[in-house]
Amino acid sequence: MPASTLPSSPSASQLDVAADLLALLRDTTTEPRPDPQLEALTLAVAADLPVLLWGEPGIGKTAALTQLAAELDLPLTTVIASVHEPSDFSGLPVVGDDPAEQGVPMAPPDWAVRLVRAGRGLLFLDELSTAPPAVQAALLRLVLERRVGALRLPPGVRIVAAANPRSSAADGWELSAPLANRFVHLQWAHDHEVVVRGLGGTWPRATLPRLDPEKLAGAVDFARRAVHGLLSGRPALVHRLPSGEARRGGAWPSPRSWEMTQSLVAFATAAGSSREVLSMLVRGTVGDGPGLELLACVDRMDLPDPELLLADPARAELPERGDLRQAALDAVVEAVRTRPDRSRWDAAWALLVRALETGAPDLVVVPASTLASLRQEDWDVPATIERLSGVVTLSHRADRAAARTTAIAEKQKARR
Amino acid sequence: MTPDHARAEAAPGDQDGARPLDAARLPDAARDRTGLPHRERPSPPDPSMSPGPDRDRPPARAGDRLPDPARDRAGRPERERSSPPAPGVGSLDRDKLFSARLHAVRVRPYLATALFALHVVESRSVPTMAVDRHWRCYVSPAFVARTPVEELAGVWVHEVSHLLRDHHTRGDRVARERGLTGPGERLRMNIAADCEINDDVYGDGLARPEGAVDPASLMLRDGELMEDYLRQFRLGPRTQDLAWLDCGSGADGLERAWDLGPDGAHGLSSQERDAVRFRVAQGITGRPGSAPDSWQRWAEEAFHPPQPWRELLGAAVRSAASGPGAGEDYTYGRLSRRSASVPGAVLPSLRRRPPHVCVVIDTSASVSDAELGSALLEVAAISRAVGGRPDLVSVVSCDAAAGGVHRVCRAEGIPLVGGGGTDLREGFATALRARPRPDVVVALTDGQTPWPSTRPPCRTVVGLFPRFPRSRGRSRGEDAPEYTPDTPPAWARVVEIGAGARGR
Repeated sequence: MPASTLPSSPSASQLDVAADLLALLRDTTTEPRPDPQLEALTLAVAADLPVLLWGEPGIGKTAALTQLAAELDLPLTTVIASVHEPSDFSGLPVVGDDPAEQGVPMAPPDWAVRLVRAGRGLLFLDELSTAPPAVQAALLRLVLERRVGALRLPPGVRIVAAANPRSSAADGWELSAPLANRFVHLQWAHDHEVVVRGLGGTWPRATLPRLDPEKLAGAVDFARRAVHGLLSGRPALVHRLPSGEARRGGAWPSPRSWEMTQSLVAFATAAGSSREVLSMLVRGTVGDGPGLELLACVDRMDLPDPELLLADPARAELPERGDLRQAALDAVVEAVRTRPDRSRWDAAWALLVRALETGAPDLVVVPASTLASLRQEDWDVPATIERLSGVVTLSHRADRAAARTTAIAEKQKARR
Repeated sequence: MTPDHARAEAAPGDQDGARPLDAARLPDAARDRTGLPHRERPSPPDPSMSPGPDRDRPPARAGDRLPDPARDRAGRPERERSSPPAPGVGSLDRDKLFSARLHAVRVRPYLATALFALHVVESRSVPTMAVDRHWRCYVSPAFVARTPVEELAGVWVHEVSHLLRDHHTRGDRVARERGLTGPGERLRMNIAADCEINDDVYGDGLARPEGAVDPASLMLRDGELMEDYLRQFRLGPRTQDLAWLDCGSGADGLERAWDLGPDGAHGLSSQERDAVRFRVAQGITGRPGSAPDSWQRWAEEAFHPPQPWRELLGAAVRSAASGPGAGEDYTYGRLSRRSASVPGAVLPSLRRRPPHVCVVIDTSASVSDAELGSALLEVAAISRAVGGRPDLVSVVSCDAAAGGVHRVCRAEGIPLVGGGGTDLREGFATALRARPRPDVVVALTDGQTPWPSTRPPCRTVVGLFPRFPRSRGRSRGEDAPEYTPDTPPAWARVVEIGAGARGR
């Protein structure tokens, strides 16, 4: 009860009063709120991949790391790179009695010794980008080879680094392409809504992903199918060096980063993470373009199997979203084209009717015309086709609109 | 409808012409029905409002189709909501709406994924059609009833363009950056975004909807970005007629009363939105030539927005200037401050060696004074910030022959001589002959020059003023096939100057 104690001890030092005020300021509550970037970070750390957080100074990277360490129950060691010297990371050469006999040991700093002794921990290398180049070079060896001087960090130690974006980095911090390729790049941004609410007294409490032991085998299988499915069709994506100044220092695809992607997909799947999180991880590992292609590939894996749809058209579950639904219908028609057969053709018509009854009619037009063209000599028209007459009307209507547009355009041209 | 009959109709030969579904290739059962009158009509229980088959509609009716602004301003949307619905006005003519989408997909096939990904929500509060940031499309039944199919198709493409161009995110960003608050500003954003879309989206089979605002009606130039238009007009008499304009939160970022919000059904998550935009962009870049220039440009930049050239040039110069051998780094050449306290250990010390930066400037006739001025100021400022004292920055102006090396002491007073053709090899040679030798050479040029054949013995940054063929499609004066300017060599770091102005 600070208020009641204050008057009784007027001389109670000002610092005690200050401590009370600080305690009140720190007295905030939390509320659960999904946080995709923290979730992505957690998964990448769990997958034991080197993570590089890109973010402007002062947006809560350290706070996030503190939360992550508490959640994973790892002691957090923060090392501010810019106040260290290169020898703090590569080890201090200590000249002994007889260097020719014993060599010169590279003495590690105390935090590394403590980490090795504990056997586990979360090492956060902050301010990577404001350190001089020689310090950065020493740090990268630490991140990638896990060596500090003569010590090797145990596998229980996870490392996360943070850097300011190039545009705001005071020095010429820049990753060369080979180095950039070894990191999972996560863009760290603050959500101003969260900050405003937090300053109002309520900070978010993210629920972190949990790996489900039941799903492990399935997740690996899924990840392999996804990456294999994409790369077998697009071999050009396997290795592509970044070009252009704007893309320098970012993620790009190579066999190494695809392997990292594969394990990230497996981790995200086993944790049941959202596509949002998967997208951040994948795009941060192989870059935007290849990452989005992989995600599109994953989307396609979610589409219903055309053979299953053809097997039972009456109870088929078609995707709700228009573009996916059309992709599913196209796949069905394609399946009929590759193995034409009367019953499959009929089933496809039934499926189109079902699509028409459960969604927008214009999606059915192209698949229906393609399917009609697949008809063979001796196939009778199934009775269900009558239900598709609305589609023909729709198509005609669009035709007429096109004709009118052309006519008007020609009239205008003539006038000019 | 005997099988024979059907077979004759579906002759294998006409598969190839197979654009739309037409009756010739649908079996008779369907085709026979198409002629029936009730099929011609919009299927909902409408007739009073919708004037039957739209082909019969006299063009003269155009006048009352779309918002006579005064009327709309006065009455919308309350009037539509409060007036007792005329019999049949109520329901949305989905067939008409989807016929329009089909037409839009046929004339703009590369937008098909995006158009199909939109989820239609019938709404009486919307004046016409509007989108939200979750890719829902709110449609007013009355608007659909009074608008012909071809114009509806134009509106479809217009609305989906807002989403593809990410106008809501850009609107939010502009609002934050420039402190624009209030509904008036959001209306301005909506108008500016419409200008960005409407200047080139119509035509080529797609009708322009009545009342669509374009830059010309605001006395502005075509072909600019929403952010640029936003600086160039205010709400006033000229925009009076546009007060009814409302493309929803997808166009300007401001939540509307009718929005279903992030938790509503059928919204797209931001990852799904990116995926759709990416597929559209890929479709466009994968088949160059089928989409107009403006869409090609959009596709190129959708996932790799040009970065602000100032920052890029700064990063390049900083990185070149602080690399090994220049700038601030550790050295064993001199004892460390810590040495006294750690006897026995060998410590490096921190030492600063400011970089010498030499700027080679292409002063040939093809580079404008304004371009040179802005870039030169920038380089001088950057190199000072890197730690170079102004006297460490020198300038060589170069056209076909190089001038002398000048030290820069103030930003002004840099003599730029030249005006003829270009040979940057001379400029590089002069720069490298200078003593002390520069650590960094920055070349500012339009790139229409021969380049040194070997890598210079120092870091090189090229600031390139963009020229054709990447310029804005319409003005390709020197597009002659035999003309191929040399591209900057691979050993230089190239930053396009001026491209960042078109940032998203």
